[in-house]
Amino acid sequence: MNKLKKQLLAGPYLVWIIGFILLPFLMIVYYAFTNADGGFTMEYLAAVLDANNRKALFLSLELGVICTVLCLLISYPLAMILNGMNIKNQSLVVFLFMLPMWMNFMLRILAWKLLLSKNGVINSFLSLFGFPGVYILNTPAAVVFGMVYDFLPFMLLPVYNSMTRIRKDWLEAAQDLGAGHLAIFFKIILPLTVSGIISGVVMVFVPSLTSFAISEVLGGGKVLLIGNIIEQDFMQGMQWNAGSGLSLVLMVFVIISMALMNLFDKEGEGTAIW
Amino acid sequence: MVKKGVSRLYLALIFCFLYLPIAVLVVLSFNRSKSHVVWTGFTLDWYAECFRNQNIMSAFATTLEITFAAAVLSTIIGTLAAIGISAMKRRSRTIYLGATNIPLLNADIVTGISMMLLFVRFTNLGFVTVLIAHITFNIPYVILNVLPRLKQASRYTYEAALDLGAGPLYAFFKVTWPEILPGVFSGFLMAVTMSLDDFSITYFTKGAGINTLSTMLYAELRKGIRPELYALSTVLFFTVLLLLIAINLNSDKTPAPAAGKAVANKGAGLPDAPRPNGTAKQFVSSAKTRRAFYAKRAVCAVILVSLAVGSLAVLFSASPLISGGQTITVLNYGQYFDEDALRRFEEETGIRVNYEEYDDPEEMYTKYKAGAIDYDVICTSEYMIEKLIQEGEVLELDFSAIPNYAALDPNIIEMTSSYDPEHKYTVPYFYGTLGILYNTKLVDAEDVKSWDCLWNGKYAGSMIMTRSVRDAFAPALITLGYSINDTDKDHLLEALEILKDQNPDVSAYYVDETRDEMIAENAAIGVCYSGDAGEAMAENENLAYSIPEEGSNLWIDSWFMPKTCKNQEAVFRFLDYVCRDDVAQANFDYVYYTSPNRSVAAGMDAETRENEAVNPSEETIRRCEVFRALSDESAGLYNTLWQELISN
Repeated sequence: MNKLKKQLLAGPYLVWIIGFILLPFLMIVYYAFTNADGGFTMEYLAAVLDANNRKALFLSLELGVICTVLCLLISYPLAMILNGMNIKNQSLVVFLFMLPMWMNFMLRILAWKLLLSKNGVINSFLSLFGFPGVYILNTPAAVVFGMVYDFLPFMLLPVYNSMTRIRKDWLEAAQDLGAGHLAIFFKIILPLTVSGIISGVVMVFVPSLTSFAISEVLGGGKVLLIGNIIEQDFMQGMQWNAGSGLSLVLMVFVIISMALMNLFDKEGEGTAIW
Repeated sequence: MVKKGVSRLYLALIFCFLYLPIAVLVVLSFNRSKSHVVWTGFTLDWYAECFRNQNIMSAFATTLEITFAAAVLSTIIGTLAAIGISAMKRRSRTIYLGATNIPLLNADIVTGISMMLLFVRFTNLGFVTVLIAHITFNIPYVILNVLPRLKQASRYTYEAALDLGAGPLYAFFKVTWPEILPGVFSGFLMAVTMSLDDFSITYFTKGAGINTLSTMLYAELRKGIRPELYALSTVLFFTVLLLLIAINLNSDKTPAPAAGKAVANKGAGLPDAPRPNGTAKQFVSSAKTRRAFYAKRAVCAVILVSLAVGSLAVLFSASPLISGGQTITVLNYGQYFDEDALRRFEEETGIRVNYEEYDDPEEMYTKYKAGAIDYDVICTSEYMIEKLIQEGEVLELDFSAIPNYAALDPNIIEMTSSYDPEHKYTVPYFYGTLGILYNTKLVDAEDVKSWDCLWNGKYAGSMIMTRSVRDAFAPALITLGYSINDTDKDHLLEALEILKDQNPDVSAYYVDETRDEMIAENAAIGVCYSGDAGEAMAENENLAYSIPEEGSNLWIDSWFMPKTCKNQEAVFRFLDYVCRDDVAQANFDYVYYTSPNRSVAAGMDAETRENEAVNPSEETIRRCEVFRALSDESAGLYNTLWQELISN
């Protein structure tokens, strides 16, 4: 009896789930499978194969993968160095590397726009020493730059966390048994941080695949990602059905990366993100 | 030793990468110069401006309101739900937790869109819809924070309390509540943090006149960069920095939590989260890293917020709350109405203005047609008004209620005949041309007499084209010898071909940003509207404006009253106010396009009046063509071709 009463407390949340989680999701599905007159159609799902959408999707996947790989390549050594540091205030140092995350997301992108523009800070600095300038603003490279900057902490934290769990005695034991640095890295450190890497990968890949604001600001209207097409379909083109179709396709990729993560994180290691 | 040096170098490099952008923002917030990225002297003016700026402050206030309301409500619903879920059998619990995961896992853009579709179907977008959306993505964080605490709470103590005669409620508050309180609290803090930083979901669910800091920044970023925003970011950053350091130093004195704990969590002084077990284990533990990550951020957010409440009090005492309850919702181009003039209208008439902006006519059309917001009066371009009049969406105006309409130049009113032949629907607001803004240091003045200069390759990598779809095609159509109103598919495809050829040479497609980019001399040529050109020329004397001899687009923006108008009388008062000489002058000074008010031209000095960018001559006007409405089919074709161009 008491248990039943307690369960009733979840009632408001049940209403919320139905009203604001399931219903909106069904709306997307409905729009994706109907045309403007309300008739059933597959055309909007198939539209992902249109030249424009396909290009944008491939570009998004490409940039997402590049961004994820870069984040991993930067974060992994960083996490190792931070973890290996033998100083009193290690947490403060790690904190310093997380601090930029506390800035508003939009402001961080704005800063890169200022830095990278043709007569911007970096180029003025380079020309001072007679170096050639860097002209990557309004190209996919600038978008990747912005993404890496924005999402780096999402990778650094899980990797660092999984690394702090490796006990020093294990490494020492391996050393005592004659393992070299490489062997220790590949036989101990890497396997023990896999779950951290996977959650970092998903955490970076999903937002970089679906982002539209970063490409909007740093791409100068020349970089069209799948997120931008969806945004335009909804906010400018009045093509809600088409936008919903693409959103559903996008969800497929999100679900695939989630499934991938669960595969590697069977035991709920605790470093997973979602 | 070498290894250590390499490590240090690596740390230093990453450190620079992370802090360089922030340093730039901080330095620029003290820079006197507005548009250039050049140091021209130290000033604190932008800080004063930032706190005086009503837009920034009201976005700040909205952000805080949404954040707090959403965090409180989601904490209540989430905590109750967690208690309920913990009492459930395995199966229903799995279902609940599965549903809880959806907003957590999904891409922000998809969550935002799905909510928008729902809201638009059943209600209007506004403050409440943003609030509901925020509560929705906040609840999972609360549940995932409270649930492990409930698992850990001893059931036997609770049952013992019951056995000893305590009522269930009493037992709950005496026994269980203190145990789950830390979880509730960190859930609340997480909700605060997630709400504060959200952009995508707010962007899709917000209504007219509602802006949070993130959405305001997004709009501002596209328009051009204002130093007030550097000041704002500096203030926010240093507040957070000081708080974090304080918290960090403080928590170091307390006994360190279990080894291997997330540093962020430790710093925040949050109690060590218990290891969950059972079916909830995976969900809960998986949210842990993210939780730890945000936990510290949350603490300072709260303190930041409480600091801000003080400044809010000042804000509210400064802006008199307008009574009477009359409100009109105005939709206008970005940066197209003097903010002070808008404020004065509210003060003079007691009518509150919900002001909403958009970038191009197609976006306006979508916003209006979406029906998510009932607009009372809209300003847009001639061809879009023509389309809406054809569709029967426009109401006739009662000009007897707009006495100041007489102040407009009859010649300009005549120009509106293409879309309003009987002059009964519209009040012209500004007009101007599309042309080439160029840097005289880099560009030969002879070249820009023709649109050919956009294709001759001389200015490769240094050209900014417009991204307003029809204006983007106009130069290509003119160059090919077609009318800018041509809708023949083959002709448009031809235009697309030459635009594609040009694409590698184009440095960016912008609308409002063009002006600032040209002032900063980031490009040699920018295709833009006359008013932007005039303003840029006033800021940088190396710039000049040319309307190519083949002709160009002459555009007229007018106000009209859509069918959704709910308060016609207030709209007439608004339009009357807009036509008043002093208001027309204020708006002219602000946007620098050509005003149809005779008094504005009369008040100009000779040099300004001669300036083609500010005041196109009759000869120029004859050369130019006005856009006509497109059928849905042609508009769709334009859209597809445009996407093809930029995904090139």
